[in-house]
Amino acid sequence: MKLTVLSYQKCTGDSSLLQPFEGLSPSDVHSLYLHIPFCFHKCHYCDFYSLVAPSEKKQDLYRQFTDRMIEELTLRATEVIAKPRTLFVGGGTPTLLPASQWERLLEALKTGGWLDAVTEFTVEANPETVDQELLAILVAGGVNRLSIGAQSFNEKHLKTLERWHDPARVAEAVGLARGVGIDNLNLDLIFAIPGQTLDEFDADLEVVLALEPTHLSCYNLTFEPQTALMQRMEMGQIEPLDESEQREMYEHVIAKLALAGYEHYEISNWSKSGQRCQHNLAYWEGDNWLGVGPAAASHVNGRRWKNEPHLGRYLSHRPGPPVVDVEELPLNEQAGEKLMMGLRLFEGIPMAKLTAMLEPQDPRWQMIAQLTQMKMLEQTATHLRLTRQGLFVADTVLSELL
Amino acid sequence: MNIRNFCIIAHIDHGKSTLADRMLQATGAIQDREMREQILDGMELERERGITIKASAVTVTHEHKGTPYMLNFIDTPGHVDFHYEVSRALTACEGAILVVDATQGVEAQTVANAYMAVEAGLDLIPVVNKIDLPSARPDEIAMEIEQVLGLSAEECIYCSAKTGEGIQELLDAICDRLPAPKEAAKEKTQALIFDSVYDDYRGVVLYFRMMSGKLKANDRIYMMGTGRTYSITEMGKFTPKMVPLKHEFQAGEVGYAVAAIKTLGDVNIGDTITLDAHRAAEPLPGYQEPQRMVFCDFYPSGETQFEMLRDAVERLHINDASFTYAAHHSEALGFGFRCGFLGMLHMEIIQERLEREGNVNIVQTAPTVTYEIKLTGGKIIQITNPADLPDMSTVVEIREPLVTCEFIMPNENIGDLMHLCEQRRGVYKSQQYLSETRQILNYELPLAEIIYDFYDKLKSLSRGYATMDYTLTGFRKDNLVKMDILVNAMRVDALSVIVHREKAETRGRALLKRLKKEIDRHMFEIPLQAALGGKIIARESIQAMRKNVTAKCYGGDVSRKRKLLEKQKAGKKRMKRIGSVDISQDAFMAVLETDE
Ligand SMILES: Nc1nc2c(ncn2[C@@H]2O[C@H](COP(=O)(O)OP(=O)(O)OP(=O)(O)O)[C@@H](O)[C@H]2O)c(=O)[nH]1
Ligand code: SF4
Ligand SMILES: [Mg+2]
Repeated sequence: MKLTVLSYQKCTGDSSLLQPFEGLSPSDVHSLYLHIPFCFHKCHYCDFYSLVAPSEKKQDLYRQFTDRMIEELTLRATEVIAKPRTLFVGGGTPTLLPASQWERLLEALKTGGWLDAVTEFTVEANPETVDQELLAILVAGGVNRLSIGAQSFNEKHLKTLERWHDPARVAEAVGLARGVGIDNLNLDLIFAIPGQTLDEFDADLEVVLALEPTHLSCYNLTFEPQTALMQRMEMGQIEPLDESEQREMYEHVIAKLALAGYEHYEISNWSKSGQRCQHNLAYWEGDNWLGVGPAAASHVNGRRWKNEPHLGRYLSHRPGPPVVDVEELPLNEQAGEKLMMGLRLFEGIPMAKLTAMLEPQDPRWQMIAQLTQMKMLEQTATHLRLTRQGLFVADTVLSELL
Repeated sequence: MNIRNFCIIAHIDHGKSTLADRMLQATGAIQDREMREQILDGMELERERGITIKASAVTVTHEHKGTPYMLNFIDTPGHVDFHYEVSRALTACEGAILVVDATQGVEAQTVANAYMAVEAGLDLIPVVNKIDLPSARPDEIAMEIEQVLGLSAEECIYCSAKTGEGIQELLDAICDRLPAPKEAAKEKTQALIFDSVYDDYRGVVLYFRMMSGKLKANDRIYMMGTGRTYSITEMGKFTPKMVPLKHEFQAGEVGYAVAAIKTLGDVNIGDTITLDAHRAAEPLPGYQEPQRMVFCDFYPSGETQFEMLRDAVERLHINDASFTYAAHHSEALGFGFRCGFLGMLHMEIIQERLEREGNVNIVQTAPTVTYEIKLTGGKIIQITNPADLPDMSTVVEIREPLVTCEFIMPNENIGDLMHLCEQRRGVYKSQQYLSETRQILNYELPLAEIIYDFYDKLKSLSRGYATMDYTLTGFRKDNLVKMDILVNAMRVDALSVIVHREKAETRGRALLKRLKKEIDRHMFEIPLQAALGGKIIARESIQAMRKNVTAKCYGGDVSRKRKLLEKQKAGKKRMKRIGSVDISQDAFMAVLETDE
């Protein structure tokens, strides 16, 4: 693999000022992501950049953080032509940020012109930390979509995940959101939790469907490296479900949600008609997006980078946050990445896009033909996509096309 | 000057190279500060594995009873694969030091090497080594040497190559007891090439032993075997550094010569050097080309292209002509090389050197032996690849190589050994007591049955105490058939094996089971079949992968996800894709599975 790492170096200390935009022609950024890295407890499966703020310094830290995030937005506004259409605030637990700081942040977004073209504005919410007051502030600031982490409604399985919330709070949060006028709601659900049965998962789905969200993300639990969950597995304390059980649950959710009128539009995502998450679509379609906040990743015209996942340095580094993992892949490998992301979508990749990105003599055409013959891929009138068979072994299929 | 030419021979690990260290030190050839362990084992692999692979010759001087002696000695490898190195070294010497570990006693290669030395007409000095160890039993071992090899226990020198104890006594014994080189009967120059190495600066360096006449730098020489002439540009000795010398080499001396020879392929080891202007009437008796016992194919894998592999093979062969190679094409695996080796260790070493020094990735097929095929017309051909077996309607019989095996082992394991040999189609020959607790057993076995896991089984049934040595004795016909393996309905020629008809079903089933373990699950189900002719005799199937899909992949995960998938792909480096099935290196070795 040849990686064209530009003149950037991994930032150590505050000696180097990294300007990830250097040499990039000014470009439109259609999506903006903000990362709020605070949680009140670390869930065992979590590999997001999040930390638990010490309680005595909490308020100060939240304020400092908000200051910096506003400064970063101001800085970036000079570097990109940013009229994002989608905005997503994730974490961490964004709803842990106090209402007063939210007000400042939303105000800054508005005055910075970041919201001018936004049609979808999502905030991730933890069922334990949303209340009426905060929701009202969010709505007033333009938020029109809420993504609530339910994960499971079974106390035993929440315990396995070390996810701390009372399952009853999910319905309350949904009610509160609707109360302030947010109807576009996503719920996150996790399945294939060690010890979980198909019936238990089905019960979770029943609860979720009763809440009638417009959007559902159902993830097969992944044991990420360097998580508590992975360690417990390595020490033999928990055992992942076997492949067949996982597949059975996945098949079940696909069938059940189809019956309930949801469109399966990405490997782990379902929505009511017309309610797909536009922000996430930008990722899968390889669009340009800008990430703000520690650990936030960006992608502009084939160049990727990430703010360093380090809150201390995020706060102290001037003028912008330290940037790491800058990479600009050769076109050939960018194409591989686009295939990897694009084929996650149920509709697949438009043929026109495919012919534009793969040279006629690219060996991947042959691989595509072979995988089509093996009934892992198929061509519709307009798109190349995974077959149902291919869906279950997508990683194997996609690794052939990198 | 007084000259003594000798080699150091022993069973593997009995301390030859360490003893050589002490002799180099005791004679002042190497200063203490330059010393490191087994200094003659210069190759990286020799040092890593702690074994000698290639013999090395050195010249040192020792003063004995007031007169200087020139001692030329050769440290030889103990491993059975490198027997030929020993046999060559012997022809350059009048004597040999037979080293026996005082805690282990006489072992299979002790016997084999001692007999070889006696047959070559050498005088032996038995040395009981490692007497510093608490478990040393020198007197007992000396008695064993007397009983088994007929060398008087009185004559044994006790020493420790670790502490240096007994080394002076040994050096004196070498001067006193080993014969000086015989007076040359002839006038004309004859020098035996007993080894050669390749040096990046000098090209080929010849190791020679003067048998008669004289030789010096700038002489024009004639190689009696190859018929080529050269001019010697440099002559000298290993002390152990290469030291060029101006003097005239006399009969009995050992040294090296450089003569602008480009590749090792241009010289025959065992050839005779004579002066071009005054040629000797006939050459010295040469060597037989060493027998390649096992053969396997190397194919490029991963990023490696055939051309890269070819370069690597050719380059290594310039340095090390001990293996043979020929380009080969497999229906399933494409272009590669069929290579011949002296044994399994040798094969492993060559593969490792190729990958390391040639920077290539290799997939290797399972090793096989040579088969003799008698055809309907009476013609006999040899094949080194089961896939090359001609159409069975033209085959009258298949003959396989046989070896006689000598085992030395504790009494209590004899039953288990006999059982193992029976399983492997062995024929009992003889049995003899070596001491009260150990015996020597003789079996005749098909070579194919012992090349792979036999040695491990022997070691485990005897808790490490049994040792074995074997020599090829000829070919014998048996009820042998070729078993083909089909993966996903495609015959994979590189997985074909020649097996005994009566064992075909069990072998087939075991093989498929093992293949099933070694081939990863794919996106589709993979049927595995074993077939004799067109007839399927065993089947298995590898279930399709049920689920392999990353649930989550959002903006921040793209690079990480890509790298993960790339890793999945890189895991396939040591694999070959046949049809749409990736077959791993270990799967190619599955055909060696013999557990029934
Ligand atoms: N204690 C003790 N160890 C010894 C002595 N001689 C050799 N060894 C050890 O025995 C091991 C084998 O020694 P080597 O000199 O490599 O044996 P070798 O006979 O040259 O082995 P190959 O060349 O592989 O056949 C090494 O670990 C040595 O350190 C000795 O006199 N005493
Ligand atoms: S709430 Fe989300 S970000 Fe926070 S620890 Fe749990 S999984 Fe991680
Ligand atoms: Mg040695």
